[in-house]
Amino acid sequence: MRWRGGVAFGFVLVGAVSCSSVDDRAVADEAAAFLRALQKGDGAGACARLLPRAAESLESGGKACADEVLGLDVAVGGVRGVEVWGDHALVRAGGQAVFLSRWGPGWRVAAAGCEARPDEPYACEVEA
Amino acid sequence: MRRFLRDNGLTLFFLLLTVLALVGQAFAGHARYNERQVAGGGGTVSLWHFVTSAEFAVDVTENWQSEYLQFFLYIFMTVWLVQRGSPESKEIGKEGTESDEDQQVGRYAGPDAPRWARVGGVRGPLFSRSLGLTMGALFLASWFAQSVAGRFAYNGDRLAERQETVSWVGYVVSADFWNRSLQNWQSEFLAVASMVWLSIFLRQRGSPESKPVGAPRGATGVEG
Repeated sequence: MRWRGGVAFGFVLVGAVSCSSVDDRAVADEAAAFLRALQKGDGAGACARLLPRAAESLESGGKACADEVLGLDVAVGGVRGVEVWGDHALVRAGGQAVFLSRWGPGWRVAAAGCEARPDEPYACEVEA
Repeated sequence: MRRFLRDNGLTLFFLLLTVLALVGQAFAGHARYNERQVAGGGGTVSLWHFVTSAEFAVDVTENWQSEYLQFFLYIFMTVWLVQRGSPESKEIGKEGTESDEDQQVGRYAGPDAPRWARVGGVRGPLFSRSLGLTMGALFLASWFAQSVAGRFAYNGDRLAERQETVSWVGYVVSADFWNRSLQNWQSEFLAVASMVWLSIFLRQRGSPESKPVGAPRGATGVEG
């Protein structure tokens, strides 16, 4: 559901709010590609789909993202649900959540391997 | 053309200011939004993307609704409440909707009166309250728009903070919705109270919002 406002602001906003399946598809494709790369053991491919800051978080102490990302506890099930709100999105897959952020014309994974916690933000294996 | 500009100068001036302020808000809001995006490790967005986003819409509509609420309340409350000495108030003792003769409606309507001021049925009473009702409707519409846009923006923020999103009902009972609403309302109410009270003592020569400069302090409902 991507919010796109109506032109300018001489508007009735109710009619200007719409859900964009284009963003939904792009987000689902990006998340699926990330999870597929992990499943195939393609660490470099998975890291290329992370936000730069998320990839950098795996590179502390001279470690390589491509090696570290394959050791994360990320469930690689199929994509079930997609939520897009503005420039941020949530995808549910394999009992976990993957968060994505808009990056240029597309999307990148901002956090993965995320487990829900009561009354607290998700706890993620990797995040920007 | 010059006559049109002169006859409509007040409306046109404020419409122009509205557009200029919106353009300024768009540039400033865009820069601030991208600062937040970068701080959160995300990507920047274009100006067009920003001005068609919920983030921009909620910032605009939260101010619109409070302005229309202010005028809606002011129009209706000045029917029933007065302030001695203020040109913003009508004369003491005239509280209420006043007589048909005072309001020049029905059989007291002049030849140039709007047609709906002369007719009975639903149209007469509706036209008699059309200014307040329109302001009230604009308030409700822009407040609803704020709730819709605000939910989109809020849910985007929630996802950026790795939290679950909320429903529309969940949003309209949230602290974010009421903080946005009340912070605007309090400033509008203070501005109205200040205007009503200060205009008892202070003057602005030539302005219909003020009493004539030489009018006594106790003169009520007198415009300069």
